[in-house]
Formats: sequence, C-alpha cells, structure tokens
Amino acid sequence: MSAERLVRTWITSQRAEEVTEIVSGMLSRLSSPSLIINTNRNFQRLNRSPRCRQSPWRVSDRRRRLSANKRSRFTCVELLSAVLSRCPADKLNRQAAKVLTTFYCSKMEDTETVVPALKGLASLTKLPSSTSEDVPNILDAIFEHVKMKGLVQSVRFQVFTIIDTLLARHRDAFKTINDSFLGRYIALVEGEKDPRNLLLAFAIARVLLIEFDITNFFESLFNITFCYFPITFRPPPNDPYGISTDDLRQALRGCLNATPSFGPLAIPVFLEKLAAGSPTTKRDTLQSMSLCFPVYGSALARSHARQLWNALKLEIFQPTDPITEEFALKTTQSLIKTIYAEQSPEFGNGDIEGLARDACEECISILREPEKSQAKPAIKVLCAFMSTTPSVARYTVAQTVPYLVKLYTKTDNIASRPSILLLLSELIAASRDSMKNLHISDASEKPLGPFKDEILGILTSALKTPPSRDPALACLLGFVSTGGLLTDEELAFIVHGVDDILSEESEEGEEASAPALKLLVTISLTASHHVKEQTLPLLFGMLSDNAPPRDAAIERAKAWRILSALNTLCRRPDLFETLVISLNTKLDLLCMPSDTPAPEELEPRAAYAHSILTTLHQTILAKVDDGHVDVAKYIESLVPRLFNLFIYSALDPDKNMIASDPRLITEAGNIIGAITQTVSAQRQQKFVQTLFNAYLDGNYKDIADGPQKIPLSTVFAPLNPAAPKKQRNLVILMASAVLPLHKEIRIPVPDLSGFFKSLVSWGLADAGTDLQQESAWKMLCAIVNKRSADASTFIKFMLEDFGPQSIANRSCPPEKRNPAIRVWIWVSKALLVCNHTDGSQFTELLFQVFDDEAIKWSAATSFGEIVRTDMVLTKHNYASIKMLYAQRFLRQILPRMITGAHDSTDPESQISHLIALTSLISSVPKALYIHDMPKLIPLLVRGLDLPDHNIRYQVINTFLSVAEGDSADIVSEHAPTLIQTMLRNSTAANMSSARVRISALKYLGVLPTIVRYDILHPHKATVIRQLAVSLDDPKRTVRKEAVAARTTWFKSSG
Amino acid sequence: MASVQIFNPNPTVFISPSAKASAASRHLQAAKKSLWMNGPEPRSTSEDSETDDDDEEEAIDQEEIFDLIRKIYDPEHPNTLEELRVVSAPQISIEKNTVKVEFTPTVPHCGMSTLIGLSIRVRLIRSLPTRFKLDIVVKPGSHQSEHAVNKQLNDKERVAAALENPALVKTVEDCLSGRD
Repeated sequence: MSAERLVRTWITSQRAEEVTEIVSGMLSRLSSPSLIINTNRNFQRLNRSPRCRQSPWRVSDRRRRLSANKRSRFTCVELLSAVLSRCPADKLNRQAAKVLTTFYCSKMEDTETVVPALKGLASLTKLPSSTSEDVPNILDAIFEHVKMKGLVQSVRFQVFTIIDTLLARHRDAFKTINDSFLGRYIALVEGEKDPRNLLLAFAIARVLLIEFDITNFFESLFNITFCYFPITFRPPPNDPYGISTDDLRQALRGCLNATPSFGPLAIPVFLEKLAAGSPTTKRDTLQSMSLCFPVYGSALARSHARQLWNALKLEIFQPTDPITEEFALKTTQSLIKTIYAEQSPEFGNGDIEGLARDACEECISILREPEKSQAKPAIKVLCAFMSTTPSVARYTVAQTVPYLVKLYTKTDNIASRPSILLLLSELIAASRDSMKNLHISDASEKPLGPFKDEILGILTSALKTPPSRDPALACLLGFVSTGGLLTDEELAFIVHGVDDILSEESEEGEEASAPALKLLVTISLTASHHVKEQTLPLLFGMLSDNAPPRDAAIERAKAWRILSALNTLCRRPDLFETLVISLNTKLDLLCMPSDTPAPEELEPRAAYAHSILTTLHQTILAKVDDGHVDVAKYIESLVPRLFNLFIYSALDPDKNMIASDPRLITEAGNIIGAITQTVSAQRQQKFVQTLFNAYLDGNYKDIADGPQKIPLSTVFAPLNPAAPKKQRNLVILMASAVLPLHKEIRIPVPDLSGFFKSLVSWGLADAGTDLQQESAWKMLCAIVNKRSADASTFIKFMLEDFGPQSIANRSCPPEKRNPAIRVWIWVSKALLVCNHTDGSQFTELLFQVFDDEAIKWSAATSFGEIVRTDMVLTKHNYASIKMLYAQRFLRQILPRMITGAHDSTDPESQISHLIALTSLISSVPKALYIHDMPKLIPLLVRGLDLPDHNIRYQVINTFLSVAEGDSADIVSEHAPTLIQTMLRNSTAANMSSARVRISALKYLGVLPTIVRYDILHPHKATVIRQLAVSLDDPKRTVRKEAVAARTTWFKSSG
Repeated sequence: MASVQIFNPNPTVFISPSAKASAASRHLQAAKKSLWMNGPEPRSTSEDSETDDDDEEEAIDQEEIFDLIRKIYDPEHPNTLEELRVVSAPQISIEKNTVKVEFTPTVPHCGMSTLIGLSIRVRLIRSLPTRFKLDIVVKPGSHQSEHAVNKQLNDKERVAAALENPALVKTVEDCLSGRD
C-alpha cells in the first residue's frame, strides 16, 4: 500500500489496532532501504503546504470533522510526530519545517494534542531546516499554552528538550528576547521535581546564568536553583534511568558557581546547611563552596572571611568524620586562594593581612601546646595553607617554623619535643607536596629554604635522643624528598647522622632502624654515593666474619637486622654490585674456614651462610619486581661462583663442608633460578649446554668459576646411581636452573624421552631424600610442560608401562607405589596446564585405585596438587599455560566426584571420592566451583567430619573464601549445621590442631556478616556461650579469633 | 555528641612507643627460636606449622588484656584510650582469676569516666573467659569522685541495669568499634 492510502485508511477506520498496524507498516517501509526514497517523497508531499491534496492540512481538515473524537485528534498528531521523528534530517526542507512548526504551535492550543505536538517539536527543532526564525513562535506557544504542573514527567521532559535544543542552536535569537524569555522560563520551570528533567533544567540554567543578562532576574534564578541545594535525591534500587545523586550534584553545582551575582545570597545558605546538615550535606556544601568561592570573587570572600572561617574551623577542629574534615580543609584552601588570588607573588614578601594572618596566628597559638589533641588539626590547617598561594605559603612558613623551633629549644619543653618535631615533619611534607606542581629549582625560593639550617640544627640534636628520633627522621625524610632543597654536603651530613643510629647497639637504635633505612633509601635515589661510601662500609664492618654461636640470639638478631638493612638499601645497581662482592667474600670465609670448625659450630655456621644467601635471594627478587635489568648480568659472575663453591664442597671428601647442607643448596638454587629467569633465550641456551655438560658428562669447568680450586682428579656425576649423597644433592641446583628456561630452549640430550626415563628411575631408585626427588620431579615437570611434543614416547611409556606396573599394580609394596604417585602428579600437572590430550588418561588411573587401601589416600589428595598453582609452572618461568585449563579439568572431574561421593555402595571408594573432592575444591579459585556450591556444601560439611586435620583446615578455608564476594549467602540454608560443626572444631578439647580451631573461629566470625540475622537468631545464645570456651584456649592466636568472633555475634542483631 | 558538654576539649595525645612493631624485635624473637633465617617476610606455611607444632600453653597476660582495651575509643575524641593514656599495660594486673584494670581519666572532673569504665568492662566481659572476676577502678587520686565511680563500675546490678538501656549500649558499642 502507498503511504497515501495508509493514511487514508487510518483516517476512516479510526480503530486503535489499525493505527498501530498502519504506523508499523509505514515505519517498516520507511526503514527499508529500497522504499525509503519513495516513501519519503510521498511523505514530503504529505507534509508540503496546502497545495498538495494529501497533506497534514487535509488531515487536520478531517480532524475538524472528527473533532468530537478526542482520541482521533490525538492519534492524528501522534502519527505525524512519530513519522517525523524517523524522518532523515536532509529530507525535510525549510518550507516544510516552517509549515510543521506553525502546525505544531497551533496544536498546543488544544489540550488534547499538546502532548504529541511537543513530541513532534522535539524532533523538528533538532533538524537543520528548523531555524532561528521559528524560535519566537515555538517559545510563545510553549510559554502560553503548556501548563507544566498538569503534564507527566515524559512530556515535561520534551519541553525541556525543546528549549535545550533551541538554546543550543539559536542562542542569539534568545538573547534578543532576553528579558521576556527569562521571566517566562523561570515561571515555567518552577516546581520541577523529577531528576531526569532537573538534569536538563540545570544545564539550561547554567547557560542562562553565564550567557544571558540576568540583572533583573538573578534573584528568581537563585530561587529556582538554590531551592534544590543540597541534593537529597537517592536513586531507587535498579533505577533504569541510571541517574545518580552525584550526577545531580554536579549539574546543580554547575549552576551554583555559574555567576558571581549569586555570591551574597549563597553564602548564608551555605553556612546554614553546613551548620545543620548531616555528614553528606556537610560534604556536599563544602565541595560546592570550594567550587563557588573562586567564581564569587575575592571581594566577597574577603568580606565574609571571618564568618566562613568560623564555620570551617568547627568542621576541622571538631570534625564529624575524617572525610568531612578533609573537605573542610580543601574548602579553606579554596577560600584563602580566592582571597589572595589577586596578589602577585612578589607582593607582601614579609607581611600579609586579613584571614590568612588571623587564621595563622590562631593556629600557632594552639600549637603552644604541641602535645594536645587540638595541635593536630591546627597543623593541618597550616599545612593546607602551604598549597594556596606562594605569598601565603611563605608567610605561613615564616610564622610557624621559627615558632616551632623556638618552642623546641625552650628547656621546659623537653617532654613535648617529639610532638613538636612531629608537627614540624607534617609542615615539611606539606611544603614539599606544594612544590610538586611548581618546579622551583632554586633552594632559596622554596618556602623552607631560609629556615633549613635552623631546622637541621635541631634535628641533629634530636637524632641523638631516642624519643625524638622517629619524628626527627620523618622531618629529614620530608627534607630529603624535597628535590633540590639540600646540598650534597648537607646530605652527607644527614647520612652520617643516620649511620650513627644504625650502628647503635641499644634497643632504641633497633627500633628506629626502619624509618632510618627509608631515609637512606630516599637519599640513595639521588645521591647513592653517600650511602655507598659511608653506610655500606659501616654495615659490612658490623657484620661479623664468624657465625654467632648457637645460644647468642642477640648476636644473631643483630646479624639478621644488618642483613635485612642491606637488603633494603642495596637494590640500586651500583649498591647491589657492592653487596654481591662483600657477601660473596663473607660466604667464602664461612664455607672455607682456614681452621677446621668444631662440630658444635657447624650448624650455626651453615645457618649464618644460609642467611647471607637468603639476603642475596631476597634482594634479587626485589630487584626483579622493580624491573631492574642488571640482574641478568650476574649469570656471568654470581652463578658460576655459586656453582664453584657448591661443586667444590660436594666433591671434597670432608664430611663437614658447610656448603653441602641441602638448605644452603636450596637457597643457592633459588638465586640461580631467579637470575636465569631474567636472562635472554640465547644466553639460556648457552647456559643450559654448560649445565648439562657438567651434570651428565662431568665437565663442570664451564659452569663453575671461583676462588676454590676443584681438584681435577675427582669425578662429578650427581645423576650417576653410584654417586655419593653429597653430590646427588646438587641436582637441586640443576633443577632450579632448568625451571625458568624459555619454551624454545632445546634440552641438550640426544634422546629426551630417554633422559626422562633415566631421571624417573634415578628419582625413584637412587635419590636418597625427598628434596632430591622433588627437584627431579620439578625439573621433569617443567620440561614436559614446555616440550610435550618431544616427549610423546615418554608419555606413552608412563601410561602404558609405568602407571600399570608401579601404581596400579597391587602386588607392588606401598612404599614403592606412593613415591610413584608423586612422579605421576608432576607429569599430570605438566600435561594438564598445557591442555595436553593425554592429560585425562593420567587422572583416570588415579580413580582406578580409589578402592585400594594401600595408596588411596595419596591418590585422592593428589587431585588438589595436580590442579594447584605452584612455583614451577608459572608465567615467570615461561611455562606453557593454556587459558582456563583448571576450568576444563574441573568440568571433567567434578560431576564424577560428586556422584562418587554420594554413592554408598563402596564406602572405601566413597570416602576417597570425598577426600579427592575436598582436596580439589580447596586448591582452585572459588570462581570455578561457586555455581556448583549448592551441590557441594553438603559434601564439604561431611568433609569436616573426616579425621584428617589438614582436610578440615582446607574445607573451612574453602568456606571462608566462599564467604567473600557476591554469592556469600549461598550457605544460608546450611547455617545451623555449619554453626554446629564449626563450634565442634573450635574448642581445644575437641580439636587438637590450633590451625583448624583458628579457621573455625574465623568462619564463625564471618557468618553473621553473610547470613541474614533471622536465620542466626535462634543460635545466637548458644554460639555466644560456646565461644566463651574458646576464650580460654591455651593458644593466644586462637583466643584472639574467639574474641573477634564473639564480638561480631554480640553485635549482630535484627 | 555535639549537644553534650565536652569535659576536656583538648586532651594530650601521646605517641605510643608500643605502636612501632619494630622489625628488630621480630628478628630477636625469631633468633631465639631458630638458627635459620626464614627471610624477612615469614612465609605463611611456616607460620601455620608454627602454631601447630608446639603444645606450649600461652597464659593470658597483661599485654593481651591491654591489647583488648587499647583500641577502645574515647567517647569525646577521635582518639583511642591508649593514645590518651587513659589505659596502659602496667595498670593491668592479673592474679589467678582476678583481673584488675586501672584507668586514668584525662581530667579529674571528667564526667565520661563511668562510660569509659563501662566500655572497658563490656569489652572484657565479652572477651575474657568467665572464670575471671573483673575489677575496674580509676587511678587513685585522678578523679574528684573516685569512690562513686569505682562503686558504680563494680556494682553488678548497676552494670546490668546500664546494659538494659539501649541508648547507653549504643554509645558503648560506638566506643568499642570506633565511629563510622
């Protein structure tokens, strides 16, 4: 049907269903690309002038005849507006727009058609063919005929949209009718309450306030904006319009600070709201004031300064809460900035008049008692002044610093000296922070410049008295971190003073060491030579060459303190180099003593060497975290040196070599691993070649280099079955070096699967200790994961030979089968993480032995270990990690485990399934199983009755992690059971493991926060009574949790 | 709080030395236990095994009770009782099953003393095993109506009655948990 006929049918039929049908029919034609032009032509003809027969005029003619039917008049205009809103902008010419405008304006007279007419105008005014010529007509029609109070929100919204659009497009046309428009507009918007409309109304008001001549109207405009202040609107839950309180606040603030003429009227309103309001109102008022002061101007700010300061002072000195206090300080800053904005920086070098002066004096008089609680807000105000204008900042410093220094030097104030320094440190920090945006390089121009000698003077003396030490260090930290304030000599002087603290033996010296180190680290950022030349020699000197004896705990603590200080200080490349050299020397001395140490000295010595290695490792880790690139170069120096030391010690026939202690070897391995990780793939390839040369062929020359001369006659073959235990331990070093190899590194062995097989048999048959075995398995896991394509023969061997013979074979003794499961876990893990197709066959074998008394425990708990993330297969170690591997694994396994744990036909296997399930669940992030939680909860609760403490601990932790986050209340229906079980696990009489008791109590403490009170209420009395038992637990940490849990239960109420 | 008379508008705030949990003393603790350094950050696993391994009983001591009450807030100020030196560790004594806590009001005419005392009592009732008898007193000579306050704080009936008053309980809860 043509558009003409559609309209005609609609006019005659007058039925609602048909109307919708026609509209949709028309719309579908309009939107179909092939018809759109044609339809538009028709449409334009329809719309064009009285000349055309099929025109809106014709429609309105009909309308006149049908005027008895209100609905028809309505739908008639409605149809036109609907069509218009979908009409492409360029299809409507000026003539048509003009006609339509007149048409719509005339429709406003009719209360029945005003709604669709407004809708039509809203679309029409947006079209380019609607011009400023139409503005007066539209406005007249709206102001004359639209009665806002009688219209619903959506229609009022159209009115605002029309005015907003016109105002945006034809602002000059509005300006010519300034007064008549403003007066009528103000009357129109009065009483608007809907947030959607207000957002638009505020935007319009801002334009009016800024661009129009509001001389005659500012009071009315003030009334129609300030009546909304402060915004108390709170969006309903799930508000589809998404208007937040903050949106409204921002929009309203845009009006409040749009014109200076509001100032005199606004300040009393602000003061009133500030005094009487809730914390939210106070904050809103304070923020609005901060934004308004600069606009209202300095003259007004000056005349109301006293009044405003008195109100703000109250919020700062008797704050309702810290956030409001913070806002009040910001508002004070804005006030001061506004008052003194006009003064040039050169002005008033010494003196300043007005509020800044008065407030400064007021605050300084409070500082007279620096230890009192009011001193804190007072210094906050002064600190806030630092970030206002340069002249105020200078004045503040010139008043405050000499005053505090004088206060400090007064002899009767010794007790309050720490408080004075604390206040001073805050001022220094504020001064530093105010400089950040200004970039002043000359020290004399900084506000603190003139006073630094004076301050440094008192700080030097303060460093020597323990109670003042911490605040003095805080002051120095502020000084040092102000760029360019101190000279090189002054820095050297400070380093010297701080070194005295570090070298002090007393307990106070130890207490101050953390802030002292922080200060030195800050200094080393800009002037590391002071630390290198002064501090490091001092610390190395304090570190004794000999290990503290077993019973010398104080000595040992001192050594650890120095080592941890070195760890903090020596992260910069140049300082780290010094550290490596010095600690290596110490290590050699310890491990290669000139005289044979007595047997009782051996362990302390090894422990001391271990602490040195640990320090190196920690420092390297910290450097890697900070992205230092110099770590990689230590593969040339530190790594060969460590290999040399440990190979030498392993080959030496002497049994008491310090460096053959596996704990030292492990730590050295950690260092080697951390360095290898940072090295490029090329260098790794070279390194791994020398490594395998050493371990497989005994050719250690290329990997070891150091002061100890390894005798040529000895054979190095740690992987040889006949090798002594001391040598076999060095596999730990090999494994650490292999773990972080890149994926593309080829392992330099002729047959990878053969190497794996020999490694497995070495690990199971020859490795003497767990540590050796685990190292072998980790190495195996890392390589299989990265190079699974080269290992297919090995994987086949594992599945077809090893699994059936060494694990599933029930005639094999359990002490052989259990270690075999360990290999199995590591290989499964390697394959699972890279989503290898054979991975599932490995887990299948474990299910098969669930009913086997001898090994079912190891098999069941291994599921957790297989899926748990560990330190071997990590991104940093370049492992091949496929996305969502754990999800896939869980999806495969979980249903089977749930079924198995419910199936009571075979109790043995049922328990195994339950154990496997708890082990699996507690090893993966909760996102993976949270959807299955309803099914899992009953099983997990059963897991809490298993005798094994470790499982109970894991299960409770699983519940704890489920308790965090969105779906925490998932446990609600099981709450009574959970309460009972947790209470059972929380008393020392029923549960011997403190770890489980702590977790159970933690969970009891969490329950009231996640479960509705009405569910918990029946249990409240019992829980509180039962928890009293745990309050008397023998362990302090348990009691602490019991107190926390009991407090939460006391507080929870309906 | 604004409407209530403020008894001490500007009390002294002390910098508490015990607030600095120094790394050094941690080193010393660890050094007494073991020859071996576990690294600056104790690993969680080693911590876990630590709590499980030894069966040594740790009795409730002065420091532990102080830990329970030091974080209570003063009803008038945003400071803790520790910061205002209203309570301190040496003012706590334990004898078998009696705990005596002495506290020092910031000014002798402090009308908040009973509220502070009540807060301390409520905290300890909730946190100590029931075998303990609590004795809460103001420091002798630190309050003008010392006797009355002490009597009020240690009278079971009056404490129970006070805890029936919802407004008072709310104020006590605020002191115990800090203000929002």
